[in-house]
Amino acid sequence: MLKIEHLKKVYPKSDRVAVDDISIELRPGEIFGFLGQNGAGKSTTIKCLTGILPYDEGTIEVCGYDLAKEPIKAKMNMGYVPDNHSVYEKLTGREYVNYVADLYRVSKKDRTERLERFLDLFKLRFAVDRQIKSYSHGMKQKICIIAALIHEPKLWVLDEPMMGLDPQSTAEIIAYMREHCAKGNTVFFSSHNLDLVKRLCHRVAIINEGHLIDCFDLAGHEENKASLEERFFKITGTYERRLFEDYVAQEKEEFRPDLDKQEDSDPGDAEQISEE
Amino acid sequence: MNYGISWTSIKTLLRLELRSRFGSRVETPVKTQIGRALNILFTLIVYAILVTGIYYLAEMFIVRSELRFEFLVFATIFTMGVATIVAIGNVVKNLYMSGDNELLLRFPVSGAEILIAKSIYCFLHNLVINAMLTLPFYIIFGVVTKAGAGYYFASIGVMLLSVLLPYFLANLVAIPVMMATNFVKNQFLLVLIILIGVLCAGFILYMTALKSILTYLSEEQLGLFSGEMIARYGEIASKCYPFKWYAMLLAGGSAGYAGKDIGLAFLYIFLMTAAVGVGAYLVTVKFYYKTILHGIETEKVSFHRKTPNMRRSVFGTLLHREFYLILRSFNYSFQYLAMAVAAPVMVYYCNDLASTMGKDTVGAAIVPGLTLMVIIIFVAIIVSFASTSVSREGSAFYHTKIIPVSYTAQVSVKLFLYALVGTASVVLSCIVVGAAFGTEKAGNLLTPLDVGCIFAISEMTVLSLTCLAIWADVRSPIFNVVGDGELVSANKNIAVSLLVGILVAVIYGAATMLLGFLPIEIGGFSVVDGLGDVYLILSVISLVILGASLAMLYVNLEKRYGKIAP
Repeated sequence: MLKIEHLKKVYPKSDRVAVDDISIELRPGEIFGFLGQNGAGKSTTIKCLTGILPYDEGTIEVCGYDLAKEPIKAKMNMGYVPDNHSVYEKLTGREYVNYVADLYRVSKKDRTERLERFLDLFKLRFAVDRQIKSYSHGMKQKICIIAALIHEPKLWVLDEPMMGLDPQSTAEIIAYMREHCAKGNTVFFSSHNLDLVKRLCHRVAIINEGHLIDCFDLAGHEENKASLEERFFKITGTYERRLFEDYVAQEKEEFRPDLDKQEDSDPGDAEQISEE
Repeated sequence: MNYGISWTSIKTLLRLELRSRFGSRVETPVKTQIGRALNILFTLIVYAILVTGIYYLAEMFIVRSELRFEFLVFATIFTMGVATIVAIGNVVKNLYMSGDNELLLRFPVSGAEILIAKSIYCFLHNLVINAMLTLPFYIIFGVVTKAGAGYYFASIGVMLLSVLLPYFLANLVAIPVMMATNFVKNQFLLVLIILIGVLCAGFILYMTALKSILTYLSEEQLGLFSGEMIARYGEIASKCYPFKWYAMLLAGGSAGYAGKDIGLAFLYIFLMTAAVGVGAYLVTVKFYYKTILHGIETEKVSFHRKTPNMRRSVFGTLLHREFYLILRSFNYSFQYLAMAVAAPVMVYYCNDLASTMGKDTVGAAIVPGLTLMVIIIFVAIIVSFASTSVSREGSAFYHTKIIPVSYTAQVSVKLFLYALVGTASVVLSCIVVGAAFGTEKAGNLLTPLDVGCIFAISEMTVLSLTCLAIWADVRSPIFNVVGDGELVSANKNIAVSLLVGILVAVIYGAATMLLGFLPIEIGGFSVVDGLGDVYLILSVISLVILGASLAMLYVNLEKRYGKIAP
């Protein structure tokens, strides 16, 4: 479905190699998680494979089409949800979705059916005929997702998709990712949420400083799931036993401040004492 | 807690405002520094040219025509008029439409502190503008009339005094301007119609007045500085209140006014300024906070439009989107669509005036050349908008990269839209000038052949300029957008595109005017003989330029566009 081989990207006027020799192959029907710290090269990789950025070396194939040689056919099979949810804000939600549907040559019947379904799924019916500039962060994210799915892409690429979404929408997206994959399609997404990746993805890749360090199965591999956090921390060079133990402990513990103690040390009292 | 006004906060806010306008002290690359230096140099050259113009004007009024006082009155009308317009724009932009209002309200500063800091900034801005506008007039007046040192000190005082009225007026007017802007928000078609109406009405008024003056002078066989006209100027200047009072403070004594009259003039200025100032203070204090809060609250208010799920072709949908993004923006509608619709009206009036004047002095043979020049100048203004066609994609630029449509097709849609609007404007302009100047009643100043050739040459020029404008933007787009995707400021491509267009217009127009009745022979062989030859040569040149422009835009376009990294 997606085959990246020896991808290399250096930004103009920069000495640093943003992405170096990355090779990944995604299979039909799988959800693939892409992990890495901020600035590790996740977004650059995604921008290269969606055609936003030109790359220096390597090949990218989408559904068998080389992105450099047959970009239109490759893009036709892809749907992309950006991390900054930038859209044409002067259009209404419906106008935007119809615009995208036209570009992907979706029939009137299909787009109407799909749009109606997505509007209910993502609870966006009330806003679809309003200009996008009036949308909240989460609503913009939702309209981007609807536009990316309107042509039922074989490869659905999402860059940190859950950021800013309400819990209900997050749940709907997770459910839809699973449904999309069940049809034999592939989902490729970057995330910082290790817990979500652990529960949702079939496979995961960890990237650090532009290099792909590790790629392993999660589905059916409990030991990999259990060690995901530790591997991530070690690969990204942030592993320190004490910090890691703190992180694991934090996941289990509750950190709500003790209200009784707070009441004991009322700032009003402190003021009074100091005045005295 | 103390909720009073803190001058420390005001100072910090003011420093923040100045930094955001003029940049921080962070070191900038050499290329940027050179760019800035060139910009400053260019501005200085333009300013020097204007000051030289003022000097010659002053000489004409003061030395040749003995219109000393009148010169100062007219200079005050001009400078205060310009200062008021600039001040209104400045106050509306900085006080009410500034995007940082929401940000500033999050800090522990009060609305009053923000208002004072921004008002100080606006006042300083207006002071600089006013000094740049008035001082050249005052200094040149002093130099030409050989005034003493006291005059120059007085002129600084008058300059400081004259900055107040435009500033206070701007504060008074800003609120209704904002209310009107909020009222027509999202009424795109209505805004467009109003803009076209205002643009055409203003232009027609200006050109009609100019033509009346020139016709009057011509019919009465009067010179601009004939005895009768000088008497008229004196009469007009004596009735130009309140501008006359400002001139009296500077040169009332030498114009024969008594000290008492000059004192009264100062009193009138003081009272008038104080009254407007108090009014502005009361209005601003009452409405400022409400207006910016309303702006923040309604920033996201948008229109609701139910559209059917309609299927369009790829070309059609790209064209539809491009057009709607222009129509639904106040600034772009004005810059582009209103100008395109108003251009034929402007072409008619400019041509009417130029041909009336030119025909009397040079002869009717210059009319086709003038028409060609005027049409190309106006379409160059319209077409320069295409030089931001890629930049205007802003943060949504990535979208043009991910869609399954070739970059060539996407650019072709832009070219089609801009060329279509430009062509419509050229066609209408040609019909208008053909109907107006091609009749027997008008003296057959333009024949059908003239109109046809002017259309063909202008059309090829429109297409060439559009190609070049888009090419320039593909080469170096500037994705500097704000809010819902509007360009923060015009990028340099607009200026270059405009300059090229005007240059072409002047060359084509001058060539047609001169060569139309000045045949060229080389070695007894006639190279150019009459307008027919000129049209043929210009058509061939235009065709070659069009071919080259198309090649520049399309050759390697996929590769060049692909390299643009948002």
